[in-house]
Amino acid sequence: MSLIKKKDMVAMLLAGGQGSRLGVLTKDVAKPAVPFGGKYRIIDFPLSNCINSDIDTIGVLTQYQPMELNAYIGNGQPWDLDRMYGGARILPPYVRGKEGEWYKGTANAIYQNIPFIEQYSPNYVIILSGDHIYKMNYRWMLDHHMKKDADCTIAVIEVPMEEANRFGVMSTNENLRITDFEEKPIKPKSNLASMGVYIFDWPTLKEYLIRDEEDPHSSKDFGKNIIPTMLADGKRLFAYKYLGYWKDVGTIESLWQANMDLLKENISLELYDPRWKIYARNGNLPPQYIGRHATMKDSHVSEGCSIEGTVENSIIFPKVTIKKGAVVKNSVVMSSTTIDENAHVNYSIIAEGVTVGDGAVIGENTNGTDAVLISVVADRVTVGSGSRVESGSVVDSNL
Amino acid sequence: MSYMGLIYSYSDRENLRELTSNRALAALSIGGKYRIIDFVLSNFVNSGIFEVSVIARTNYHSLIEHLGSGAEWDMSRKRGGLRVLTPFANKESTDSAQIYKGSIDALANHLHSIKKSMAEYVVLTGSRILYTMDYRDMIKAHLNSGADITIAYTNQMNGTQRIPQGSPMVYLDEQKRVQSVEILDEEQSDREGSWCIDVCVIRKTLLESLIADATSHQRYDLYNDILKRLAPTLKIFGYEYCGHLLEISTISTYMEANRAMLDPEFASKVFQETVYTKVKDSVPALYGPDCYVENSMISDGCQILGTVINSVVSRGVHIDKGAVVKDSIIMQDTEIMDHAKVEHAILDKDVIVRDGREVIGHPSYPIVLPKMSIV
Repeated sequence: MSLIKKKDMVAMLLAGGQGSRLGVLTKDVAKPAVPFGGKYRIIDFPLSNCINSDIDTIGVLTQYQPMELNAYIGNGQPWDLDRMYGGARILPPYVRGKEGEWYKGTANAIYQNIPFIEQYSPNYVIILSGDHIYKMNYRWMLDHHMKKDADCTIAVIEVPMEEANRFGVMSTNENLRITDFEEKPIKPKSNLASMGVYIFDWPTLKEYLIRDEEDPHSSKDFGKNIIPTMLADGKRLFAYKYLGYWKDVGTIESLWQANMDLLKENISLELYDPRWKIYARNGNLPPQYIGRHATMKDSHVSEGCSIEGTVENSIIFPKVTIKKGAVVKNSVVMSSTTIDENAHVNYSIIAEGVTVGDGAVIGENTNGTDAVLISVVADRVTVGSGSRVESGSVVDSNL
Repeated sequence: MSYMGLIYSYSDRENLRELTSNRALAALSIGGKYRIIDFVLSNFVNSGIFEVSVIARTNYHSLIEHLGSGAEWDMSRKRGGLRVLTPFANKESTDSAQIYKGSIDALANHLHSIKKSMAEYVVLTGSRILYTMDYRDMIKAHLNSGADITIAYTNQMNGTQRIPQGSPMVYLDEQKRVQSVEILDEEQSDREGSWCIDVCVIRKTLLESLIADATSHQRYDLYNDILKRLAPTLKIFGYEYCGHLLEISTISTYMEANRAMLDPEFASKVFQETVYTKVKDSVPALYGPDCYVENSMISDGCQILGTVINSVVSRGVHIDKGAVVKDSIIMQDTEIMDHAKVEHAILDKDVIVRDGREVIGHPSYPIVLPKMSIV
């Protein structure tokens, strides 16, 4: 028996993103820790995808506001990632010698953790990000990678041409071999967008990471440096087309939209699939109580809630109280928030621990246009009785 | 000072018909997502006692499956932790009454395991009565009074209607020392004496010698042969419990207990301390476009498209469009299809009620559909 046990594939999950476009929602937490879909956080999706794809060794790279994320991941038990060998490991940037060093870019983050990966001497490394909502079997992607005898495989999704400039965009030949890759191009040549999911042959990636680190002009980024260099060197890069539901929840609107998507019938993000559960840390709360005056319609409601008012087309997180006469429509209401009597909430994201006072009105669509403007109320804010919050505005202090 | 818990997962004095014919009482679903054992174990967890043995008798399959390693109650431990004590298979009879000859005999059967524990005191409890107690307070009272045995009792009904037949009653003097113990011959609604709620605290070495002594005289029942018999000689003290109480020994008290949790005020007492249970990772409950829900408890993973009134619904239940569920208890993963009607009924796990079928009981005699039945 060899001294070093082997893992065929190790996952590296980039979870240090700030998610600045989410504004007040990422004031105190990193983007991957942002709550989603009633009981989840964004990072539950890539973590659950890993364990469902039989990948049990995951380095979680944190940097921005890591406290809540670290506590959330803990020993990895909720995702079945508490393993004797492997499992989930939080990898924060750390000090070497006299100097501390932050992760300078996505590639540098992996570079700094080469020793972590080497422990498992894997054949493949899969790079993931904690920013997207999707269900994907990474093993199928690995099969594709092996079949193509690729050095690197990039998961891609077709996006509308007009949105392609927000992504890494690639062109391929008929064998899906990548011929061209551009990060956020002004004039995209194709609509195949990178999902930020890469599989690399580990020895190849390691070599490129070391080379890239030595280049003082590099911005140490996968999309900007590693991939273009590999392409220029004639390495075998292939695209892997993903056909399911995938959503980048980087903005308030897209976060709201992705939540609303859960209420649509027949979307391919089938959360009920017993073979592909999305796991999350559990709050040990009692079942929800629906009272004598409640009206429920087209909504997801979580444990520990007490509903006496009207809930329509909304996603309600755990421990939310919605009192008599209150109306919540087309909204996302996060944990431990209270909506008092006769308050109206429409087209809004209400963060954790908020109190919306009696008769307050938030985000009622006033202008009558089709364009949906989402109002946001930040963590632990109190919106006083009778106050009005215009649609599309952000409330980050008590009103 | 260290403590261990001992839980009887069954009761000789229950008649829950089909609900417990294939499972231990402690494994019975209650309050939507819970099993009875969750409330019992959570009392120990919340009292900082992480060494608990659960005594199993028959049909403990679902109990063991539910408990697993005990990790979900934070009881997967190197020191202490959760243990399920199953009967040894070398008995001639498989009749449940023969497996243990009584509550003392059950302990005698597992004496080696009890002796092995390094705990000094034992908290002994049953699964028939649900209460929320910090055992540390009771242990403190036990130590202060210098008692040999302390038993918990209540003087209020606290949400229960009747004291069932077979319940032990204690009569105390002013110092709360137990003068006598009596077992009720018939159920009683107005209380005389104090009702024991099935919890005692005792020094482990004393328990061990009482077990050995009773067994050598062929005495097998804890209440009759130890507490009642030895009340004059041992110092047995009462400890008053004033909180809420739910008693589960018949179909009607089981219904009452579930219904009690629909009262938000009562529920806030029951769930004041965290109640732990097995995690199922199900999706938040989904409410459809035409559903109507009133005064009901709904668990994760449910899809509610029809009408639910005054009911307790467990995890993963589907109630289809046009279906009506009233005054009922629906257990895990049961499906009630289009325009079916369910009233005054208890539907066990994995039941299917097909389109348009009606399952209607009476408040005085709810219908019980056993696990996996298809109507």
